[in-house]
Amino acid sequence: MAARGRCPECGSESLVEDAHYAQQQLVCAACGCVLSEGLLTTTYTDEEHLREVAYSQSTGQKEQLSRCLQRGIRRVQDLCKVLQLPAVFEETAVSYFQRALQLPAFRLVSLEKKELLGGCCVFVTCRQRNWPLTMGTICSLLYAKQDLFAGVYLSLQKELGLSVPALSLADLVTTHLNSFQLLQPTANVPAAFLEDKEKLLARTMAIVELASETWLVTGRHPVPIVTAAAFLAWQSLQPGPRLSCPLARFCRLAGVDLPPPAHLRLKELLEILLGMASQLSWLRGFNLDRKMVVKHIGDLLQHRVFLLKNAFSQHGEEQQDTATGQGSPSSPPGAQQQGRPWAGKGQRGGTLRPLLPPCLIHPRKRLRPSAPSAPAAAPTGDEPISDSEIEQYLRSPEEIRALRKARAW
Amino acid sequence: FKDDFSTSPHLFTPMSPYDLELPIQAASQLSQSKELLTDFSSVDLSFLPDVTQDNKEQNLSEHGHETQKELDGSLPSNEESGVLMDESSLSHPGAAQPSPEASGMCPPLTPMTPLTPASASESSGIVPQLQNIVSTVNLACKLDLKNIALHARNAEYNPKRFAAVIMRIREPRTTALIFSSGKMVCTGAKSEEQSRLAARKYARVVQKLGFPAKFLDFKIQNMVGSCDVRFPIRLEGLVLTHQQFSSYEPELFPGLVYRMVKPRIVLLIFVSGKVVLTGAKNRSEIYEAFENIYPILRGFKKPS
Repeated sequence: MAARGRCPECGSESLVEDAHYAQQQLVCAACGCVLSEGLLTTTYTDEEHLREVAYSQSTGQKEQLSRCLQRGIRRVQDLCKVLQLPAVFEETAVSYFQRALQLPAFRLVSLEKKELLGGCCVFVTCRQRNWPLTMGTICSLLYAKQDLFAGVYLSLQKELGLSVPALSLADLVTTHLNSFQLLQPTANVPAAFLEDKEKLLARTMAIVELASETWLVTGRHPVPIVTAAAFLAWQSLQPGPRLSCPLARFCRLAGVDLPPPAHLRLKELLEILLGMASQLSWLRGFNLDRKMVVKHIGDLLQHRVFLLKNAFSQHGEEQQDTATGQGSPSSPPGAQQQGRPWAGKGQRGGTLRPLLPPCLIHPRKRLRPSAPSAPAAAPTGDEPISDSEIEQYLRSPEEIRALRKARAW
Repeated sequence: FKDDFSTSPHLFTPMSPYDLELPIQAASQLSQSKELLTDFSSVDLSFLPDVTQDNKEQNLSEHGHETQKELDGSLPSNEESGVLMDESSLSHPGAAQPSPEASGMCPPLTPMTPLTPASASESSGIVPQLQNIVSTVNLACKLDLKNIALHARNAEYNPKRFAAVIMRIREPRTTALIFSSGKMVCTGAKSEEQSRLAARKYARVVQKLGFPAKFLDFKIQNMVGSCDVRFPIRLEGLVLTHQQFSSYEPELFPGLVYRMVKPRIVLLIFVSGKVVLTGAKNRSEIYEAFENIYPILRGFKKPS
């Protein structure tokens, strides 16, 4: 077959591709000069020279998509299909992925990271369109470690300059509950545990909103809160048979994972509810504990605005003078009974506590470093350094000898 | 609040006949300079030894002709964008000011201030504490790390793990990474002077070990400060209003990462009200960043 180009020796245009033994050679038919021999490399220029037509050329594709890019794009598309995302999400995710791979920050990373990059692009697309997708879901789909994913996600955000809105908790509740298996009758679920989806959803939303108003959501991972709220909602809708079911069993029946912080969130939610219950006039007589308050969650949620205002001292306000004492209408005795919650520490077991994040209510004991000793001597940084001070850091000859013997350095 | 006379009155003498006109000028400036948030409210920082007179002068000259009408040593006006004015503070800031300059000058100026928003009352009165300083210095001689590790008590050297000697001294309590090229990184000091002193001590140790160590190009690379605003903060709200600067991912980290543009500081803001500021090369950047963020955070302090 005739090849293009001119022979450098004789200038003839008749170049032929021929094989010398097993080696391809490009030879001038006129003078026999060998222009090139078979090469083991597969760079594009070499392939062009040997006239092997690449797939992309034969199909007329202008841009050369590297194999890595092709693989990545396919991965992104697969992820979108698995998550059942709309088609427009897929296009956006693929475009992000292509843009990212062109940047030097991502072109040379390991293959593992490139795969995570694809997942990150899908994640960013979902977040930007308010599709509630958690990092945990993506990480489990990619079998990735969360901290590695976090690193790639943050650098993607920085490099592409993307603004990613916060995760909407309400949408997360909806999608999370969709995966619960207590909503349809199955073999191992007793009849009393089945629940109607709409009712469960509505009540869980209300509890999650309550949690976010009472500072239980800020700074915390959202999924354990949703799990704990769903559990409380489910229990309260039919307390009789369900009160004895612990959180772990509930998650098993529902077919979802039990995240470890969910127990703590549950405890905090119950504490808030107990506080609110102490303000409901028809409950004041009862001595509610954590289990019993679940029965009254419906009422508590219904009146939650009023109860929140009265059950917890607001930041910056004086104590409420509503009648929250033991039924006494006048304020002073009532105010006396309420503690002094303003100090910022909670009144444990008292009727009133400030509405603060749990980290402020139960501050961990921290060694507060002593006040800076700058007043003692205004340091200039240029003070003289005594020899003795330095010498304390040097080993004596005996030590060195002993060390040398011990370590044979 | 645009025609508010808050910033200027306490800066004039009561006797001045021009009182009535100047506030209007100031007000027009207020409306023009919306983009400036509280800048260097050095009102409260005047007692700090580090905030020198230079800082205050710089601040004064920024607010141009406004300040020229004022007496010397007067408080610089804090320009506050209308959005950030705290409508809950009804009292005139001048009266509440602890600063000595104000007390001498602002007797009954209040008639002109119906409401004072913002301005000096926003200056927080909270000073970030420096927690860590990272500095580098060049000892300008090649070092034998094995030798150093053998002869120094306070050194550890594990070449398989890290290619530098890790040395610690007790006073000031710091740690240094000493590389074989002669470069050294000193971390853990609580002030710039302490960092410099510590670096010099390390250099002296290396000198006593027999190397011709010098002390070149000492430079502070990073300063970390922290403080507490003493009220809880709604991070979800903050990330909504300051989306271009904030990054709040509760799945990853409980705090909000706020990348301030001027000065270029990264702040970690937590729900408890604790704020960590990092990325500064000077102490003033940390103070400035905190004074910039404080009014923003105050806006999110709400009884829920």
